[in-house]
Amino acid sequence: MKPLLEARALSVHFPVRGTSMSGDSRLLRAVDGVDIEIGAGETLGIVGESGCGKTTLGRAILRLLEPTGGSIRFDGMDVTRATGAALAPLRKSVQAVFQDPFGSLNPRMRVSDIIGEPLRNLGWPRPRISARVAEVMEIVGLPPEYASRHPHAFSGGQRQRIGIARALAPSPRLIVCDEAVSALDVSIQAQILNLLKDIQRDFGVAYLFVSHNLAVVRHLSHRVAVMYLGRIVELCDEGRLYTAPLHPYTTALLSAVPEPDPERPNRPVVLEGDLPSPIDPPPGCTFHTRCPVAKPDCRATAPALREIEPGRFVRCHFPGSFRQAEVTS
Amino acid sequence: MIGRTAAEAISEGSRLAEFSRLFLANRSAMLGATIVLIAVVVALLSSWLAPTDYARTNMLFVWEPPGDDFVLGTDALGRDVFSRLIVGARVSLTIALSVLAIALTVGTAAGMAAAWNGGWIDSLVMRTADITFAFPELIIAILVAAILGPGILTVIISLSLVSWPGIARIVRALVLTLRGELYIDAAIVCGTPPTQILLRHCLPNIVPALIVRASVGVGFIVMAEATLSFLGLGVQEPLPSWGGMIRDGLTALRTDPHLSLAAGAALGTTIIGFNLLGDGLRDLLDPRIRER
Repeated sequence: MKPLLEARALSVHFPVRGTSMSGDSRLLRAVDGVDIEIGAGETLGIVGESGCGKTTLGRAILRLLEPTGGSIRFDGMDVTRATGAALAPLRKSVQAVFQDPFGSLNPRMRVSDIIGEPLRNLGWPRPRISARVAEVMEIVGLPPEYASRHPHAFSGGQRQRIGIARALAPSPRLIVCDEAVSALDVSIQAQILNLLKDIQRDFGVAYLFVSHNLAVVRHLSHRVAVMYLGRIVELCDEGRLYTAPLHPYTTALLSAVPEPDPERPNRPVVLEGDLPSPIDPPPGCTFHTRCPVAKPDCRATAPALREIEPGRFVRCHFPGSFRQAEVTS
Repeated sequence: MIGRTAAEAISEGSRLAEFSRLFLANRSAMLGATIVLIAVVVALLSSWLAPTDYARTNMLFVWEPPGDDFVLGTDALGRDVFSRLIVGARVSLTIALSVLAIALTVGTAAGMAAAWNGGWIDSLVMRTADITFAFPELIIAILVAAILGPGILTVIISLSLVSWPGIARIVRALVLTLRGELYIDAAIVCGTPPTQILLRHCLPNIVPALIVRASVGVGFIVMAEATLSFLGLGVQEPLPSWGGMIRDGLTALRTDPHLSLAAGAALGTTIIGFNLLGDGLRDLLDPRIRER
């Protein structure tokens, strides 16, 4: 089966002006050779700490940023450098829900105009737009009477519902959710996540779900990619990733998730040091500076993303050498 | 679907009410608004307000002093100065508003194009603006007027040429700030074309700044028009303009100073009115200043 969205060796590099007097410009490798596929109706979660490039990846796929390398194919069409009419299918079928429900809605527009914007761009007649706006408001759990209000009249959770309604209005096939629930209260987060799940069940939409929150990603994702310094270090289905991670970074991330069972106190693996600079990534495996099981080999040669088991990719010379069991026992 | 809810109507209404309250409390803004309002009403009703035809010469009554027959006396051709002053308001304000409309349209379009596209369009617009800024505005206007030959159209063209760059710069800076807003990203993602993004999302957010800039700018335009007319490059006889009237009165400044002074007072008062209004609006519409 052909994937709905396919990114191959996708890179986004930003030139950074050198601090030295020579003024040489260096590259910040925000996203560095990422391969992902998303099938129809599937959710791919992207997790990683701040600065790992997950948001940049999402923005590149939305074509809010120009990729500097690699390719993006949507529904079989190359949209990496598409502009104008060639970009239209992507603009119709790929929508986004953003992190900040306050910033992502124009405060001067009415809710009906905000949700109807993608439909107006498709050239729908006015009565059809109003009908669809009322329909999607119903779906996301907003009373359609609120359509004539401005965003300031709504709470954070309601605003995020407006954002979801806007994304849903043109019946997209993929929605990129960039930290879509991170700005919300925990109780509201659950409501919004369940709403996203219901929407997927009812309409078969696929999600690229970007978050730093492992629990949130697990709740929604079929497959999960873990990013570190602009690269995917582990990618597999949600079940295997969460129960038996193979990359030491994934293990460390998972150990930091609070354990709700008081009988089993969690002992997080504390990674030494800070995230290295994506301008000057360490040689060899980029994770070796913080890896608890790094060996001399790791400093010398960079591991490739290998398929260890069917559908299970790990970028590590010694996958599975650092197990959760050693931490929690 | 029902219309606006009561709570929302109140909240929007109260914003307007708050603005009116602050505006009414700002004495200099109110004074400016009153002056501007009087000038506009006089200009609009000039045909009815002027006691006699502004162009009718009467050689039996030249250099008449102010008195019962002629409120502000007559000039060298026996024309009623008061009537000419009133019609002059119409001429001056028509020119000023035309220049303002052109400068706002061109400046906004150029500033938006520069901010949105960047690259060579940005360089072209901003370097052109820089060149214009490098010379005193009036010198350029005089130069252009001298090339085009005198007339109302010349005044409008030359003053528009020097007025748009200031507006383009403001618009460019504001649009660059707005481009970072998440709702602009959201609009791009859902396929809104750039012109629509600029008109529907950006323009409403920069209108307050433009109102302020415009009301301050009118003062300069009125004065520049008077200067051009004073130099003989602007409004031509027999149509009156305040600048031209000041020049006509100069020859008789010792014997009949009221000729120049009346036009000068009208000009000065109008400029002060627009500047007071502009300052007041800036205080009210710019939240950074209001909070001080």
